[in-house]
Amino acid sequence: MPKVTIAQNILAANDSIAQELRQQFKAKRLVTLNLMSSPGSGKTSLLECTIKRLHSLIGIAVIEGDIETATDAERIEAAGAQTVQINTRGACHLEAHMVRDALPELDLGAVRLLFIENVGNLVCPSTWDLGEDSKVVIVSTTEGDDKPSKYPQMFSVAQAMVINKIDLLPYVNFSVNKVIQQARRLNPKIRVFTLSCRTGEGMDDWCEWLLQQLEANPFVYSYRPTD
Amino acid sequence: MHELSIAQSIFDAIEAKADQCQASHIRSVHLQVGEASGIILDSLTSCFEMLANTDQMTQGAQLQIDVIPHRAFCPHCAKEFEVKQLVAQCPGCGQWSDEIISGTELRILEMEIDGIEAQL
Repeated sequence: MPKVTIAQNILAANDSIAQELRQQFKAKRLVTLNLMSSPGSGKTSLLECTIKRLHSLIGIAVIEGDIETATDAERIEAAGAQTVQINTRGACHLEAHMVRDALPELDLGAVRLLFIENVGNLVCPSTWDLGEDSKVVIVSTTEGDDKPSKYPQMFSVAQAMVINKIDLLPYVNFSVNKVIQQARRLNPKIRVFTLSCRTGEGMDDWCEWLLQQLEANPFVYSYRPTD
Repeated sequence: MHELSIAQSIFDAIEAKADQCQASHIRSVHLQVGEASGIILDSLTSCFEMLANTDQMTQGAQLQIDVIPHRAFCPHCAKEFEVKQLVAQCPGCGQWSDEIISGTELRILEMEIDGIEAQL
């Protein structure tokens, strides 16, 4: 029986689009972050707070991924950033071709920071490269403090972890240290931010890190806000 | 359930290859799946079979999967070790390693077909 050699990565089609996107982002001097988390951990709230703090300093755009509705895109627009909504119609994660097809909807001329808000899901999005510079995983204090151990793949591929809703710590059984320990076992270099979108606590560190990402990108002009 | 998307990617790749070499039918597909790839093999197999049965070319096609162990190299001990549950900590010295040797593979190696005109 004849055998035919294929010898290719199963995700080769996705990865080659992601690679094109990465080059396109670079050429447009963009820093791109892929935000991933369970549903309800506060991805959109984090973006709203981030946009409110930074949009007078730098151009920000958001690609919103959701299974259905344009609710999140409306929230992002109200916060003051350009956005395009992708509805995956049932698919549990974004793939590179979806980002490629959504990109022409944005005017990226003045944009330096592009967020891709993935579909709320702590499993599947981690497998798909979207051409981003960094993956950021968000976990909130209401979800329980065993998420990195239960969903190791996500935490092992992320460059940064945001622990959100720390204003609720007095009311929930959640150990910040336990979560950080679990995440660092999987990924010793992961950058950690603890914050509350509601009170604003910890937002400065997160925003400072975002601005550092722009500075670290040789294609992007240097910008440091003056207080 | 991203195994369905993975199965679809396999399906697209093998159909393209089958067209290219004018195969009439695909019997089996040989994969390498790393332990750390985050794929549930049973789900992948059933998603693949479901897709395969939607097309005459792939009707009844089977997946043959080699599972590749997750291994890393410890530069301090100069030894390879097995990575357990994605924690790349050397059992010898307790240091973490970022030199992953294997276990993240998601590859299609080859497929068995009928009706080939010439071996490619």
